[in-house]
Amino acid sequence: MSTPRAMRQPLALRLTSAGFLAVWCLIASFPIVWIAVMSVKSPVDAFASNPLDVIFGPATRAAGNGLSLLDIVVGLVVLVFAVRLALNWLPRMVSHYAPGGQMLFGWIVAATGYAVAFVIAYFVILPALLGLLNPVLGPLGQPIIGLTTEHYRAVWVDNAFYRNFINSMVVTAGVVTISLTVGTLAGFALARSGSTVAFWLLIVALGFRALPHSVLVAGYLPFFVNSAEILRPWLGEAAPTLYGQPWAVIAVLVSINQPFTIWMLRSFFQNIPNELDEAARVDGCTHFQAFRLVIMPVMWPGVITTGLFSFLLAYNDFLVTSLLLDQSNQTMVPAIAGYFNRETTTTDQVEAVAAAVSITAPLFLLVMIFQRQIVSGLTAGAVKG
Amino acid sequence: MNLRPILMAGAISAVALPAAADCAFENTVPLRSLSAAFEAWNAVTDAMTECGNFEAELSQEFRTLQPEAMAANPALYQLGGVSNGTVTPLLNAQTIRPLDDLVEQYGQQLRPNQLIRINGQTMAIAMMVNTQHLMYRSDILDDLGLDVPETWDEVLAAAEVIEAAGVVDYPLGATMATGWNLAQDFNNMFLGYGGQFLNSDGTPAVNSEAGVNSLETMMALTEYMDPEYLVSDSTYVQQQFQQGRIAMANLWGSRGAAMDDPAESQVVGLVDAAAAPRAMEGGPPATTLWWDGIVIAANITDEEAAAAFRVAMEGIDTEMVQANNDAAVWLIEGYEPGRLAVGAIATATADPAPTAYPSTSQMGLMHSALGNALPAYFTGDVSAEAALAAVEAAYITSAQEAGVLE
Amino acid sequence: MKFKTFAAFVAPSLVMMLLFIAAPLVSVFIGSFQLHQPVLQEVEEETCTPGFTGQTCTTTIVTRPLIDESGNMITTTDWVGWTNYTRVLNPEAAWAAVSSLDWSALMQIDFWAALRFTLMFTLVTLPLVIGVGLAIALVVNNAAKTIRGPVIFISLLPFIITPVIGALSIRWLFIGDGILTAGLEAWLDRDLALFAQAWTIELMMMFYRVWHVAPFAFVIFYAGLQTVNQDTLESAIIDGANRFERLRYVIVPHLAPLIVFIALIHLMDAYRVFEEIVGFTSQAHVISLQWLTYDFLQPDDSGNRAFGRASASSMLTMVGIVVLLIPLLRRTWRDHKGGSH
Repeated sequence: MSTPRAMRQPLALRLTSAGFLAVWCLIASFPIVWIAVMSVKSPVDAFASNPLDVIFGPATRAAGNGLSLLDIVVGLVVLVFAVRLALNWLPRMVSHYAPGGQMLFGWIVAATGYAVAFVIAYFVILPALLGLLNPVLGPLGQPIIGLTTEHYRAVWVDNAFYRNFINSMVVTAGVVTISLTVGTLAGFALARSGSTVAFWLLIVALGFRALPHSVLVAGYLPFFVNSAEILRPWLGEAAPTLYGQPWAVIAVLVSINQPFTIWMLRSFFQNIPNELDEAARVDGCTHFQAFRLVIMPVMWPGVITTGLFSFLLAYNDFLVTSLLLDQSNQTMVPAIAGYFNRETTTTDQVEAVAAAVSITAPLFLLVMIFQRQIVSGLTAGAVKG
Repeated sequence: MNLRPILMAGAISAVALPAAADCAFENTVPLRSLSAAFEAWNAVTDAMTECGNFEAELSQEFRTLQPEAMAANPALYQLGGVSNGTVTPLLNAQTIRPLDDLVEQYGQQLRPNQLIRINGQTMAIAMMVNTQHLMYRSDILDDLGLDVPETWDEVLAAAEVIEAAGVVDYPLGATMATGWNLAQDFNNMFLGYGGQFLNSDGTPAVNSEAGVNSLETMMALTEYMDPEYLVSDSTYVQQQFQQGRIAMANLWGSRGAAMDDPAESQVVGLVDAAAAPRAMEGGPPATTLWWDGIVIAANITDEEAAAAFRVAMEGIDTEMVQANNDAAVWLIEGYEPGRLAVGAIATATADPAPTAYPSTSQMGLMHSALGNALPAYFTGDVSAEAALAAVEAAYITSAQEAGVLE
Repeated sequence: MKFKTFAAFVAPSLVMMLLFIAAPLVSVFIGSFQLHQPVLQEVEEETCTPGFTGQTCTTTIVTRPLIDESGNMITTTDWVGWTNYTRVLNPEAAWAAVSSLDWSALMQIDFWAALRFTLMFTLVTLPLVIGVGLAIALVVNNAAKTIRGPVIFISLLPFIITPVIGALSIRWLFIGDGILTAGLEAWLDRDLALFAQAWTIELMMMFYRVWHVAPFAFVIFYAGLQTVNQDTLESAIIDGANRFERLRYVIVPHLAPLIVFIALIHLMDAYRVFEEIVGFTSQAHVISLQWLTYDFLQPDDSGNRAFGRASASSMLTMVGIVVLLIPLLRRTWRDHKGGSH
C-alpha cells in the first residue's frame, strides 16, 4: 500500500513517536526483566543495593555459577531462533495440520509441545553442550556473569511447584470452558433480545462486576467450610465439604467472571448480522439449532478473545483461590504469596521471585501465540459495541 | 545447593510416602494439620509426616481459617498449631479437646512446663517459647567501646555514638510495620513502662502516662531508623541485619538462626543477642513472652484424636530438636541453647520477668485498635495523646460490638 | 426472540450469578443492619503457661461465651438500624470537622480518608490510562509493520502479568534502597525514602495502576484504529485538515464508544483498588474503601471480626460506584434502545 503524500510524516514527528515507543517499551518490560535477573542470582546478589552487583552477581560467580561469553552468545542466538520459530513456523504448521474447527485444539497441542521441547533444549541439552565446550575455550569460556538456576530447581523439584502448576491449569481450564459455554448462550440471547428485561439484566451484571470481591469471599468462607453440615438434610451423607474443592472454586470464579463475559460476547454477537440466524429460522430451525449451525462457526474470533480474558482472570486470581483452597489443591499465585507472607528468609524470597518468573512464562507463550487473534478478535467485535 | 526441608514438598509428598523408619509407629488414620508457617513449624510438621497418612498445611491465612475449620463437624483439621494469641478463639468456642488422658497414655516424654493448663485441664502442648529481644552487631559495639545496652535510654545513647561513627546506614531497626507489628512493639514498650491495658471495669486505659512514654520513646528511636520503618516487618529487619545496614534491633528470637546463614548473611558470626532492654530502671524487659504449641480438635472421633496426638508427639520429640536445634528456643528435652538463643533465655528468666502475652478476646480487640490508630502519630498527623484517645475510641466501638463492654 | 427462549439461553449464566454473587450480596445487605453477639459470661480461670525453666500460673477473670448442648456458641442477633453505618461514617465527628473546615481532622476518620484516596486514585488514573493507552496505540499504529508484532507483545506484558507479582516487582524497585530509588538518589543527589510519606506512596500506586492498565486500553484502541474509515480520513486530508485536526475530528469520534467502554471498566476496577494497598503496605498513610472492608473482616488473634461494620462499609462502597457509573449507564440505555432489534 503506497502512502499518500499527506499521510507521510515529518522527521520530527517520526523521531518523537519512535522515542516515545522506546521509552514505553522500556517501562513496560523493565520490572519484569529485572525480576528475571534477580531470580538467577544468589540471595546476597539479588538484594544487593548496587544495580551492577545484581546484574553481574559477584557472589553468585564466586560460588562457581556463571555464564561465559560463549554461553551468552550461543544462548541469545538460540533464543532468537526459537522466537522466530514460534512466530513463523509454528502457525504455519498448525494451520497445515489442524484445519478449520480443530484450530483451537491444534494450537493447544502445538503450544504445549513447543514449550516442552524448548524447555528441554534450552535448559537441558544446551547447558550440557556448553559445559563440554567452555573448558576448552580458555578466556572465552570464563564465567563473566553470575547465574544460578538453583532457585528454579528448588521451586520446581524440591518444592514440587509442578503440583501447583497442575492445579492452576485445572482451575483455569475449568473456568475458561464453563465460562465460555455459559457466557456464549447468554451473550447471544442478550444480543438478540431488545427487551427491557435484557437491559436490566445487563445493568445488574454491570453492578455485580463493580462489587468489591473481598465482600463476596468473606460470605463464602463460613458456608464453604460448613457445607457438609449445612447440606446434610438434603444430600445425606454424600454432602460435600466445598472448602478445598477445585470445582467449587471454578464455580465461584465463573460466576465472578460472568458479567464481563456476557457483556463482551454480547457485543460480538451484535456485530454478527441478524439476517444470518433469521434465515436459518425461516428454514425451520429452532433458536438453538440456528445458534449451533449458523452462529457457532463464525463466533470463534470473539470467543477466543473473551476466553483469553477469562484465562487471565482465573490464572491470576489470588483472593478467591487463597481463601477457598487448601494446601493440596493450592494454585500458583497463592503459593507464591505464601513464600512472601510467612516468616521468610531471604532465600525464600528469591525462590518466590523464581516462582513468579516461572508463572509468567505460560502467559508469555499465550500472548505470543494469540497476539494476532486478540487484536483481530477485538477488531471484529467488541470494540464496535 | 540448599536442600532445606521445604514445606510444600513435605506437605504433599507426605500423602504418598509410606511410614519411614524415623517414626516409632505407622499411622493408619488420615490426618491433617493447620498451623502458621515459620521455620519451627516446618521442622515439626516434617517430622510428623514421617509417620505416614499425614498432611500438613502451613499457611499465613491460618488465623482466618482455623476457628471456622475447627468448628466444622467433623473438623477439617485434627491437629492445629497455635500460639498464646491464636488459641483464644478455639478456647472460646470449645472446639479443642482436653488432652489429659492422651498425655497420660502417650505423652511420657513431655516436660511438665510444656502442658498448657486451663483450670487444671491440659488444653495444648507447648513446643517452644518466643520473645522479642535485643540483637546487636558485637563487632560494632566492641570497636566503638560500647557496652551492650540494658535499657532503652542506653540504646538511644549507643545509637547516637554509632550514628556519629557512621559505620552503618542506620543504627537501629525495628519491626514497626503498620498493623500487627507496630501494635506489638507498642505493647512491649507499654508493658515495659508498667502500663495496664484495661481498667478494672473493662474500659481502656492506654491513654495514660505509660502510653505516652511508650510512644515518645518509640518516636525517639525512629530518629535512628530507616525512615521507611512503617513498612518494616521482621523479614525486612532480618535482611537489614544480614546486609549489614543496621547495628541493633529488638527482634524475634526465632529469627536468630538466619543471621548465621552463610548463603544469605554478610555478617555471619557478628550478631549477638542479649535480653530485651528495659523501659525503666528496675522494670521488666520491655517485651512479651509467647509460646507456640499443638492443639487437637474436639469435633473428631477419639480414635482420630489418639492418632493425632501420637503423630504430634513424634513431631515434637528429641530427635526433631537435635536435627533443628537452632530453629527455635525449644521447650523439648534435648535442646541445647545456641549462641543466639542466650538473649531469649536471658529475657525469659529476667527478674522481674516480662509477662506472657495475654490470650483474651479483649487483647485481640486492643491489638487491632492499636495497629490501626497508632500510625497517625508516627506520620506526624496527630499528637501522642490524640493517637491514644483514638485507640481508646476504636477499642470501645469494637468491644461494644463484640459484647465484652457495656 | 420469545421470552421463553431468551430465558432458556440466559438461565445457566443467571443462576450462577444469583447463587454466587446476588445471594452473598443480599446477606451482606441484611447484615449491615444487624449485630451478632455471643452471649458472654465472666469466669475465673487459672492459666498455666511455660517460661523457659518453669511454669507460671495466673488466675484471672476472663470472658468466655456460653456454649449450648450441641457445642455451638449461643449468639444473639439484634436489628440495630443505622448503627453500623453511623459507626463507619462517624457523622458527628465528620460534621464537626467539616463545619470548622478542619481537613486533617476529617482525614482521621478512616472512612473519609479511604473515600478521599479512592476517589482521587480513580479520577487521576482514569485520564492517564486513556491518554497513555491512546498514545501508545497511535504510535504503534504509526510504526513500521515489521516491529509492530514485538512491540505489541512487550506492550501487553504489564497487563497480563499477575497483579500480585506486578505490584511486588514494582515495590522491589523502590523499597529501601531499591534499584530505582538508588538511581533517583544518584541523579537528584539526595537521600530518598519513597515509602516514608503518603504522597510518594500514592504516586507509586498510581504509576503502578497506569502501568498495569494502560496496555488494556492500548490494545482496545489499537483494534479500534484498524477500523477507522480510510475514506473519511482521505477526504479530511483533501479538505486540508492537518494531523491534529484529523485526530480530533475523525479518529477520536470513531474511538468514542471505546473510550466510554474503557472508562467504564477502569472506573469499576480503580474504585475497588485493593492490591496496591497490600502490595505497597501503605496502610499507615493511605487506605482505600475495599481495604477498609477487608480490614473489618480480618479476624484478630482472638477471632473477632466486625461483620456489621464490614457489611455497612461495603454497602457504602456499592452506593459510591453506582453514583460514579450513572452517566455512563444512561449512555448504555440510549444505545440499547437505539441499537438492537
